[in-house]
Amino acid sequence: MRPRTLFSSSSDGATLTAVRTFLILAAIVLGASGCSLGDDGVEGTASAREQPAACPSAWKPGWQRLANRINVPVYCPSWMPSPIDAEIGGQWNSDGVSVSKDKSYLAGFLWHEAGSGDVHVNFRGYPGKAGVPRCEDTQTSGGKTRRLSVPCFSDPQGTREVAGKQVTVYSVSRDADQWHVTYLWREDGVLYAVSEHVAPPLTYRRVLQNLDRIVGGLEVIEPTA
Amino acid sequence: MKLTRKELLGGAAAGALGAAGIYELVDQLADSPVRAAAGTRPAEQHLLAEAKLLVHDGIEVIEPPLHHQVITARLAVRPSRAELADAQAVLERALRRIEDRYEVTPAGLAVTVAWGLPYFRRFVPKLADGHLPIDRRASTSAKHSVPAAFDATRFPSDLSTTILERNEVAFLLRSDDREHVADGAQSLFADTDGLFELTSIRKGFQGGGFAGGPGLPKAMATAAGIQGADLIPDGAQLFLGFTSTQRHTQGPSRIANFETLGLVDVREGYFRGGTHMHLSHLFENVEAWYLDFDFRQRVDTTFRPGFEAREGAQTLRQAPEDAAGAADLRGDFRRVGAIGHSGSIQPTSRLQMDIKGADGDLYPKGSAIPQRADFNTLDNPFFWTADPGRDRHGEQPEAGLHFISFNPSSDDFRRNRLAMDGRLPDGTRLPIGQGSRAQGLNSVLRTTHRQNFVVPPRARRSFPLAELL
Repeated sequence: MRPRTLFSSSSDGATLTAVRTFLILAAIVLGASGCSLGDDGVEGTASAREQPAACPSAWKPGWQRLANRINVPVYCPSWMPSPIDAEIGGQWNSDGVSVSKDKSYLAGFLWHEAGSGDVHVNFRGYPGKAGVPRCEDTQTSGGKTRRLSVPCFSDPQGTREVAGKQVTVYSVSRDADQWHVTYLWREDGVLYAVSEHVAPPLTYRRVLQNLDRIVGGLEVIEPTA
Repeated sequence: MKLTRKELLGGAAAGALGAAGIYELVDQLADSPVRAAAGTRPAEQHLLAEAKLLVHDGIEVIEPPLHHQVITARLAVRPSRAELADAQAVLERALRRIEDRYEVTPAGLAVTVAWGLPYFRRFVPKLADGHLPIDRRASTSAKHSVPAAFDATRFPSDLSTTILERNEVAFLLRSDDREHVADGAQSLFADTDGLFELTSIRKGFQGGGFAGGPGLPKAMATAAGIQGADLIPDGAQLFLGFTSTQRHTQGPSRIANFETLGLVDVREGYFRGGTHMHLSHLFENVEAWYLDFDFRQRVDTTFRPGFEAREGAQTLRQAPEDAAGAADLRGDFRRVGAIGHSGSIQPTSRLQMDIKGADGDLYPKGSAIPQRADFNTLDNPFFWTADPGRDRHGEQPEAGLHFISFNPSSDDFRRNRLAMDGRLPDGTRLPIGQGSRAQGLNSVLRTTHRQNFVVPPRARRSFPLAELL
């Protein structure tokens, strides 16, 4: 994984004071104008949120190639939690896209900094899958390794409607989604999943907000070839 | 005037005794259970009169007091006959004044005084040699005399950082009413001015989860900003989501007394009606528990692999006939490579045969022996400590448990705790890695402190043996 640094640090007290003053003023101005500044530092406005979800042009080609490769519609997000984006092949994309023989896919995006935590979002699609997929859980004890078949997503925490999609929220996830909260829904014979890791600096509640926003801003990308 | 460190600590401790901190929320989040009228004062300090039984998910559950506080201390008394006699009278008067105000019930206030081995060694060593009970079973196994109370040790799943404490005395205060606990703690130390140098104050709560709504643990954890608090099931009695006070998981009547089961020789009987107390603190990783274990896995690891449970159930049957034996535990491990918490303890914590107790009661096979008084806490690791560096004290609330168990002896507790780590009295050693999922519940727990105490009978709770000097 490539080393990444979110912010450069400064020991210059005057600079810090100036930055703080700017942030306070900015918060006052934003508050007065009806804008909000999320606690992850991602700005959004009421008018921006009313725009139709649109996959950014820089991210779209990768998602289009994925849709074409499996000949199934895929979803490209219009928003991602800071600092990551959803550009397949971009700096935050872990190992491109993994596609299995059954056309199920995994596209993961990760920021990790030792001591600070990580931000990790996975997008999955399982064409033709009706039920919750199974994962292999490997446990070793007493010198013996056991491979158990377990649901990839379990402990449903209820369903919610997000941008017209009836998603089920799972609090326990396996495999590359371990310690993630997963939103799962079925559409036109495809099971889709979007998950995010619950780890500092994110709380469970914050992850739910992020997933609401990610899933609420998905643009469907139809295969073109 | 400048305060000395001792005065400063004393002042801070005195303030902390009655301070509610975040626990004030307990009163806002839970109604006190309606209790029966008070009865007589038990001869045993560790028994609570008038504990309320309720039925949850069709299973009888003991409703514990809402508020708990443990205060540990060293003695500011010189080991002389005169000073000890005076101290004994002062403490007994203070305790009686509390009992004059409150019934010894959850609706009133129950105070239990437990004495650490450092007290016996420093103040009454010769008398302790002659009077402290002897563990017959442990002595037979060890082929030498083993006292019923010995110093706590670390267990295989403990970290090397687990602190083995050396407090001389501990006071456990329990009530449904926080004001009663605060008043009892403050008056106890005001009325015994100067007898005790406090070492820690530990606070917490239990129950409150049966009346519907989110329940006390979830509401408290959420208010404290505990990671994973949102995932605690509504109505749960404890942070980890399962009820722990089923009637059958708690030792009945006087089973945990030194003398009842015959495991312990009370010698000439000074400590008859007393018991042994283990006190520990552990952190619980709530977020790991709910994000890394699904409901089925939480049942497997809390109870037994494959234990029958309705999805989402919180109170599960733990009747005598359900108790696992050592063969079940070995079978579970062979089959799935893991053990459950209850299942691992039951071969040692439940009676393996019917026993007629020294009190004349029949204790049937499968009865639980320990009487637990554990409670959830947001202390990190204590509400207040005289030694923040040693105790790694933090101001940020953390989910945890102040674990208190009354057993007939240190060895009896030790057997149960070793079984949790897959080590059975018959020599079976299940090869379970420290902190591994195969260890069940242990994998999300981290014990920070441990100590064993002697709980004398009520009549000898104040500076035991001092009157014989």
